[in-house]
Amino acid sequence: MPPTSADVVVIGAGVSGLSSAYFLARAGRDVVVVDKGIVGGEASGRNGGMVSERVDEPLLIPMAVEATELWTTLDEELGYPTEFTQEGRLQVAVTESEMGDLLAERDVALRHGIDVALVEPSEIRDMIPGITERTLGGLFFPNGGHANTQLTVQAYAWALQDLGGRLYQNTTVTGLRVVDGRVSVVETTAGDFAPEIVIGAAGPQTGLLADLADVHVPVAPARVEILATAPVEQRFPIALVGNGLYGHQAVRGNLIFGGGAHEWADVELTASPGKPNTPLIRNIARRLAELLPGMADVPVIRSWAGVVEQAPDYRPIIDILDYPSNYVVVTASAHGFGISPATGKVVSELVLHGEASIDISGLGLSRFADYGPDWREQRGWTPAPLRF
Amino acid sequence: MESRPLVVVGAGAAGTAAAIEAAEAGVPVTLVDENPIPATLAGLNVPQFFGQRFARDLQDQPRMLERMTAVNEALAKARVAGVDVQLGTCVWGAFRNSDTSRVLDGPQLGLADRDRSWMIKYDRLIVATGARDLGLAFGGWNQAGAMGANGAHSLLHHYQALASRRMVVLGSGNLGLNSARLALKAGIDVAAVVEVSSSVRGDATLSAALQGKGVEVCTSHALKQAVGRDGEIESVVLIEIDGSCAPVAGTERVFAADTVCLAIGLVPNVELLSLLGCALAFEPELGGYVPVRDDRMRTSVDDVFVAGDVAGFHDAMVLDSEIARNQGRLAGVAAAESLGAIDSAEAAARLRELQATDADADPTDAPSRWMQWLQALLNTGGSDVFVCPCEEVTYADLVDLRPPRFLNWEANRGSRPSLKALVRDAPVNPDQVKRLTRAGMGHCQGRLCREQVALLLADASGMDIADMPVMSYRPPVRPLPLRVMWPHDESEQVRSEWAKWFSPTSPVLG
Repeated sequence: MPPTSADVVVIGAGVSGLSSAYFLARAGRDVVVVDKGIVGGEASGRNGGMVSERVDEPLLIPMAVEATELWTTLDEELGYPTEFTQEGRLQVAVTESEMGDLLAERDVALRHGIDVALVEPSEIRDMIPGITERTLGGLFFPNGGHANTQLTVQAYAWALQDLGGRLYQNTTVTGLRVVDGRVSVVETTAGDFAPEIVIGAAGPQTGLLADLADVHVPVAPARVEILATAPVEQRFPIALVGNGLYGHQAVRGNLIFGGGAHEWADVELTASPGKPNTPLIRNIARRLAELLPGMADVPVIRSWAGVVEQAPDYRPIIDILDYPSNYVVVTASAHGFGISPATGKVVSELVLHGEASIDISGLGLSRFADYGPDWREQRGWTPAPLRF
Repeated sequence: MESRPLVVVGAGAAGTAAAIEAAEAGVPVTLVDENPIPATLAGLNVPQFFGQRFARDLQDQPRMLERMTAVNEALAKARVAGVDVQLGTCVWGAFRNSDTSRVLDGPQLGLADRDRSWMIKYDRLIVATGARDLGLAFGGWNQAGAMGANGAHSLLHHYQALASRRMVVLGSGNLGLNSARLALKAGIDVAAVVEVSSSVRGDATLSAALQGKGVEVCTSHALKQAVGRDGEIESVVLIEIDGSCAPVAGTERVFAADTVCLAIGLVPNVELLSLLGCALAFEPELGGYVPVRDDRMRTSVDDVFVAGDVAGFHDAMVLDSEIARNQGRLAGVAAAESLGAIDSAEAAARLRELQATDADADPTDAPSRWMQWLQALLNTGGSDVFVCPCEEVTYADLVDLRPPRFLNWEANRGSRPSLKALVRDAPVNPDQVKRLTRAGMGHCQGRLCREQVALLLADASGMDIADMPVMSYRPPVRPLPLRVMWPHDESEQVRSEWAKWFSPTSPVLG
């Protein structure tokens, strides 16, 4: 059977891939998305749902700021609810050293023209009823917020389908056929596709996928954990970072908080990695009870883990490659959810015009030209030996 | 961290038998059981469907401990055999290394009492966690008084704390008949036993005895609605159904009752087994997903054994607790042998003796029976019934994949997504539907709606229920307050090297 034609094939139905697919479909392109599992089955549908201006990572500020603006109209844009709540983001310090970090971050924010306010412990207690008396101060970013991860990723998918985009779930990519410096055929378990452009947005599998086209994309998968409590009366709509945790109270009322050590992992190209929790969830529970002592009686009702990927500098890679010349790498280094609307916009611009309207210099793959195949071993970013 | 050669979870017939058998073979055994449970947990319908029908007594832990110990003679025997018995202690988590999780120095359980949690390592584990109530929605079931057979059994038998005056029982299998029998024995009126089939399913003698005591057995009937006031059930409306489970107009009858006891099925409590990665298989005659196990009760994970209802529940087990007890003994011997406490010849002889008496399951396909009930209840009660009472998700919400109602979302596009559309794209995944609709995400941790959601998804998608993946289980498998989960044994290293989102502070994890 001859390959099915398409303007664009996106590999990976997570937020980055689906947002890219959506923006391209909106621009009239014929888009196919394939995923080894379901929409948002990996980290996109199971992260903390945080949306911020990424003042902690100045290189990403332009994209993140754009994203916070796009989020405000995303529900209308996509036609489906994301539960996006933009009531701000509060980062609190419980140690002197954290307070120092906050002050430094405030300077960065001010330099980049980002709305930010230093808040006193008394103000913090008004903003977050039940929070510890031990805060030394906080930084409030009025444009920050949070959203529901699975609703969001599904909203992108449905919106894409509404525009005629084709979605193939439970479909694995078995090969990328490179001819004359281009990926001419994407081989999948649902048949072959012959697209003009291929977008590799495969999350933790991004590196393994690129290997199929003889491209080295250095990303290391890692497992991280998070927990959720039973729903309680709405106390704070603000996204909250502090005491080593990040999280928020969902619109439904559940506290959703994560943090703590990640664990480097290996994944397979065509299988979903295991996502077990560990007793680390107890440590997260303690830190949450310390942070919100007024809510320490709320029961934890579930926890989960997700496998994310990190580039060596903890930053996204968004790039149209020189070789294969129609291959786009999109990987967000475990920060894809919040910036996803901007990711879609930027990727669609790259594909359509060859350049983006937002500054993404510094996110190119070439910055890792010196990274050999053994970079993870050298860096120590490999799984610990398995002890049974 | 404490470490034990053998931990047995669950002190019912199977768990106590396993613990005694292993202890008598010389194995140091810890037996844990969550009973007596805190009243707050019972209020969340965990671990059983208690339907708010527990007396205030339940808050009196010492008294409940006394009562449950008095009716469980095997507990005393276990203590005599040297078993370390820990009551009022739940197992909320089970952890073991895998490809993407390598930090543990051995498999371990998360335990908790009312005040604190701790971890315990084991060499061998016997899971005898029993079964839980199957939830099937009917109109008015989100009121106090709708409860499950195991919830009723627990309150009647263990605690003598069932606050009910008059009951209607749904289901005429042994589970339902026995629930009616126990209720009568406790002085509770039983107005009726309701059965969608045209004949009584359970023990004929027991059924006749109940009828002799004035219990009406209504075959070819379904419950149309439970009517209540101020959130309390006061009466139930029964209606006759025809051979295709459709209501027969004009046949409604009203029974005064403050309690509806759902006794249609029990579901093996496989949460811990799922967390440990034990292979589960769908066995319709054993109540759905059950652990794959050999004839020595060993699961696919070498150091984990099972016994009793968790290994698969069928109706014969209601009237004959010896079936579970025997499985417990098998697991106890097998675990003791695998620990080297008894030699293989001796173990083989004992196992042969026990296996000879291992009873066969009854061949009834539980899920198709559940489906019959579900259809009947849907046909009689309509689709605006909360299938997930915790999150207030109706049948209609589920099938239309409506966003949670608290979002007040009005679709502004022509294309309304639905389950059918989702099914066209890919085989149904209950976890995806769960996250989109919130069905199964409430405080009862999905106990009341898992099977219904699976049945409905199978029905809507045309998939065989046996092919429906199991909705995932995650720790803690009991709702656990943050202050209880708090690790009092937290190491200084974890404390000081806490990573803030990939900050490279940990020498171990990079």
